[in-house]
Amino acid sequence: MIAAVASATRTLGQHVKVDRLGYTYADASTRALDGMDLDVAAGELVCLLGPSGCGKSTLLRLVAGLLRPSEGRVEVGDDGHHCVLGWMAQRDGLLPWRSVLDNTALPLELLGRPRGIARTRAHQALDRVGLGSVDHFYPHQLSGGMRQRAALARAVVHQPNLLLLDEPFAHLDEITRDDLGDELVRLWADQQPTVIMVTHSALEAVRLADRVIVLSPGPGRAVGEVEVTATRPREETDRDVVVALHDARELLKGRVA
Amino acid sequence: MSQRAGAISPLPHPPPQEARIHSTLRRRLLRNTFPTFALVVALLLVWEVGVRAAGWPSYLLPRPTAVLQRLAADPGFFLAEGSTTLAEAVAGLALGAGGAFVIGAAMAHWRPLERALLPLAIVVKVTPVVTIAPLLVLWFGFGPVPKIIIAAILTFFPMLIAAVSGLRSVDPTAYDVLRTLGASSRQIFVVLRLPSALPMLLAATKVCATLSIIGAVVAEWVGADRGLGRAILLANTNLDTPTVFGGIVTLGLMGLLLVGGLSLLERHLLFWHESQLSQAAERDAA
Repeated sequence: MIAAVASATRTLGQHVKVDRLGYTYADASTRALDGMDLDVAAGELVCLLGPSGCGKSTLLRLVAGLLRPSEGRVEVGDDGHHCVLGWMAQRDGLLPWRSVLDNTALPLELLGRPRGIARTRAHQALDRVGLGSVDHFYPHQLSGGMRQRAALARAVVHQPNLLLLDEPFAHLDEITRDDLGDELVRLWADQQPTVIMVTHSALEAVRLADRVIVLSPGPGRAVGEVEVTATRPREETDRDVVVALHDARELLKGRVA
Repeated sequence: MSQRAGAISPLPHPPPQEARIHSTLRRRLLRNTFPTFALVVALLLVWEVGVRAAGWPSYLLPRPTAVLQRLAADPGFFLAEGSTTLAEAVAGLALGAGGAFVIGAAMAHWRPLERALLPLAIVVKVTPVVTIAPLLVLWFGFGPVPKIIIAAILTFFPMLIAAVSGLRSVDPTAYDVLRTLGASSRQIFVVLRLPSALPMLLAATKVCATLSIIGAVVAEWVGADRGLGRAILLANTNLDTPTVFGGIVTLGLMGLLLVGGLSLLERHLLFWHESQLSQAAERDAA
């Protein structure tokens, strides 16, 4: 149901197009990525699924502009609209000398928003992820799960139109992971950014994504994809989820679904 | 930086009563300083009794009580000479460590500069200052300038190394977040690099503070019209060993003052850092 609402009013997200992308790290002779094509529609929630070392994180960093492609190109946005990025990774990357509130307000500060507005918005974002009551705490006073929640709040506080997530829940326990996944889906439904999330968990991918793109072991390239049409919120036992999970795992094993 | 630097108490504790804070503070102070205090008293006692028993003359080794008498008889002398030396040391520290920070920041930002300047800095570092000090006195006279320069030279290298590696040691994820937000290198410096480097910078400042005192004294030794170094040297040639030891005690107190002040600053500024958190954990465990 949430997916239906989102698709009806998709305005904010950016279209992402990746064309025959290749990448070789300067200090390694191995290629991380080879001839990668990817097309993510505006407002779509896509998961990149693959074994470790398949270049999925490299792909995400290329899309984020943190790396420059060796070959091919990345296009974000169709009409030259200004792209606002949200970034979240495996580690929270919170600044330990800033309170949770000041950490969350950081993107707005850097974008030049007035301090009062930045703090109000940051507080709202923290409220959404369930940290409203601890926003004056410092990162070292929070559990790993709470820190990752704060990182999620920081990633969306400035209403990015492209949200890039690099195994954001990989270090969390299962319960927290599912919780945060649901939170992510709700935020996505509200703000409708395009979301590209990297994960090595097939279950997590099919629970969250509209579409799961499976990558081969390095050098990475897309070996296939699985559409997930199940309505949200999804349960592991939903028939569509079970089927999608099976298909994704078959693709991971190198068999065509 | 954050405005909430005061909010350091970990979550589970209810706000303690004012009186309890004071009593735990006093107990902590006692516990932290008592071992040092006891050791010093014991050593002084052995020294006092030993010198009396052996019957050594005061010009060879004065009794601690004789040193104390000398200090008490003319505290103004030690205060005046001491503050001259302290001022030279602090000026040298500001110049040397401050300059090293600026150059270190440039080196951290631009690697070719590091490759160009680091060998030079090492050469300066390994040149014994006692060999340069007479030249500086020759050029700049007996005033404070040679002392400040020597103190600056001694403090330059430790701060340079701390600045370069501190400003480069940033959380990669935080760095990525800032870059995806299009932060300028100036913003990245202010928001991320400088606070990340702060623990190293403060630790280096402690090292540099003691070095700056040594630098000032060595320079005074070579040629000066004022200062503790000169006072100690003069007293030594006059076999006035109580004054020599009085000067050494004053120097020690100056060092304690500087390093103690910096430790307080660390505790206040680095409440978030592992070094302070582990201390807090130890206090909780004890």
